[in-house]
Amino acid sequence: MHQITTSKFKTNLVAIFLTNELNRENVTKNALIPVVLKRGSKTMISQEEISKQMEEMYGASFDCGLDKTGDNHVLKFYIETINDNYLPKEENNMLELSIKKLLDIVFNPLLENENSFKKDYLEQEKNNIKQIIESKADNKARYALDRCIEEMYKNEPFGLYKYGYVEDLEKIDGKNLYEYYIKLINTCKIDIFISGNINNDINKFILENENITKLNERIPKYVKPNNSIKEITKENIVTESKEVTQGKLVIGLDVNLQTEEEKYSALIYNSILGGSANSKLFQNVREKSHLAYVASSSYSRYKNNIFINCGIEIKNYEKALEIVKKQLQDMKERKLH
Amino acid sequence: MQVIENLKVKEKVYFEKLNNGLMVMIIPKQGIQKKYMIWGINYGSNDSVFIAPKEEKETKVPNGVAHFLEHKLFEQENGSNALDTLTALGVEANAYTSNDHTAYLFECTDNFYEAMDEFMDYVQHPYFTDENVEKEKGIIEQEIMMYDDSPEWKVYINTLLAMYHNNPVKIDIAGTKDSISKIDKDILYKCYNTFYNPSNMVLVICGDFEVEKIIEEVKKRLIPNTPKGEIKRIYPKEPEEIVKEKIEQNLEVNMPLYSIGIKCESGCNVNTQAKYALNKSDEVKKHIAIDILLYLIIGKSSKLYKKLYNQGIIFMEPYLSYEFSKTYAHIIISGQSSNPDEVFLNFKQEVKEFIEKGIDKNNFERIKKMIYGAYIKEYDDVENISRMFLADYFKGINSFDYLEEIEGINVEYLEQILKDVFKEDKMVISIVKN
Repeated sequence: MHQITTSKFKTNLVAIFLTNELNRENVTKNALIPVVLKRGSKTMISQEEISKQMEEMYGASFDCGLDKTGDNHVLKFYIETINDNYLPKEENNMLELSIKKLLDIVFNPLLENENSFKKDYLEQEKNNIKQIIESKADNKARYALDRCIEEMYKNEPFGLYKYGYVEDLEKIDGKNLYEYYIKLINTCKIDIFISGNINNDINKFILENENITKLNERIPKYVKPNNSIKEITKENIVTESKEVTQGKLVIGLDVNLQTEEEKYSALIYNSILGGSANSKLFQNVREKSHLAYVASSSYSRYKNNIFINCGIEIKNYEKALEIVKKQLQDMKERKLH
Repeated sequence: MQVIENLKVKEKVYFEKLNNGLMVMIIPKQGIQKKYMIWGINYGSNDSVFIAPKEEKETKVPNGVAHFLEHKLFEQENGSNALDTLTALGVEANAYTSNDHTAYLFECTDNFYEAMDEFMDYVQHPYFTDENVEKEKGIIEQEIMMYDDSPEWKVYINTLLAMYHNNPVKIDIAGTKDSISKIDKDILYKCYNTFYNPSNMVLVICGDFEVEKIIEEVKKRLIPNTPKGEIKRIYPKEPEEIVKEKIEQNLEVNMPLYSIGIKCESGCNVNTQAKYALNKSDEVKKHIAIDILLYLIIGKSSKLYKKLYNQGIIFMEPYLSYEFSKTYAHIIISGQSSNPDEVFLNFKQEVKEFIEKGIDKNNFERIKKMIYGAYIKEYDDVENISRMFLADYFKGINSFDYLEEIEGINVEYLEQILKDVFKEDKMVISIVKN
């Protein structure tokens, strides 16, 4: 349980994160769980019903998401409501109500024959996930990054696509997905975050909720971050051709760190390399050579890697690559400006 | 000084017009660490034909000048770049250009006054040379190309092309490769000197500030200037009719994108100029009513959304918005769909049914609550508050009015707006598909 008590905001936010190990076997099932849960619970039996109740609560924003955080897959559920102080009339405790609704959606799903997710909902969501997977090349910048990750971590969990794979979908049905869900709920790490104007014992309120009391104790199965030394590999260049006006150049770098503290150094390193308009990439690829509008890099502390992103004219590829490499060499030689 | 308080959201805004004509708006937020400052110029990509104060001749500049100017203003005479200086202070600085205004901004937690020195200095000191103007063309070309590959951008701009014959809103804010090639330093200085006058600018500040003190800090940093007089802006006359009902473009996308547009009356429509109400509370009421109607017709809890979702035609709630300025007004409904034509057809039928059957009172009350909540949420973040007050100011609107006017909206008014605005012959669709 995580709590931030503050009266600075007009809204209160509740989030539930289910964290479990990312692997090839379960990746597609994990992707399906949030979207199927979103379709209805035992007390709000359809998407329409959920939407109506959310609207009734002055437009509570309810949504779910899916993230790859290092070698974990995180299923995220959120609800944001207006703080009672800003409601036009005396209403029930909006925060408690929103917690109740969110717990209900995550832990009390609508079932068929008590042992299966509703078949027609599942089929629709399978189709939607299929569309998402098949559309992954629509956003070219995102696609180039995803492809780079896939190549860099070919046989590792982090190389998996977070929405899974089309070929898995046909094997998934309401029954085996529900079985998987039960296993997930009983083994994953569960975090509940609350931020807002909390004035009574909200922990007690949550712990006494029947959806929480029915959960069992566990030693959660997830991957803790580690700083294992990565093998040094050879440069690998992958080129794909698409009908585009602008080419995307993505360079992935694995970062070897000895200690937890070095993450801060990596953060600053990235900031100097490509983290802002002051950075070497922005200055040299964009401002000095006018080769790009986007020239940046980002660091992930979960997986210790840096990705360099540039949007360039295809004919300038060699030139841009050379300038990027020069910046990396400069960093090594402590030429930070 | 004028102060307006809103008791619903429990916020205050202070207005102060300085002697040089600059409008300063302050929204104090006690206990918030983030500080935000945004300086807006009543000058956007649509303002490319004008008569400068004290001139008689009309000036016409290439498309994309306002945006080009925004890029170039960061460059300083001493060779430094304001963006670098601000970043080095640990503040986040940026700028953007829209159809009707340009804005420079920064946000920070520390070094606010040091940042304010640099910020107010660079906006008041343009430095354009032949060389630095030429250099920028390469960067902006890349920016334009990036948008060229974006299906979301293409489907949007094509909606505008289907609706507007002449209004410059249909032209890319950045201009085209061709139009920006014609920009030189003289054009930039001409536009800077015409529009970047304090009397044509608004400064919005939001954060934990004492109002009187921050106004003094602003005054200290202003260079002497006086109001120059009225700028006459010339916009082409726009027929009420749409250009064509459908534009389709092929791009490499897996799932087609659609954008439905509804052209609405505004100040520039040939026949509605007189009718166009200058009463701003009418504008706000109309905006609220359109928001509510859109959610009733095709929002997440609507009958139509449920139908299209269950048929697998759409799988995400559409993006719904009413966009308007002094010279244009339109509704946009957009998203991805396996069958955009079916979405359009169903939408038109649904509107017809709403007009015939009237609006359900319970649904209306529920959506009204939701919209009220959405307006309250706008006040959570200093950035959002500042941007909202600035953008609304250029439309002649005080953002608090949305919270005040929503109470008075009723079913009868909604039904009136439905008939007046959601007209089938004003609807267009733009599709991007493989």
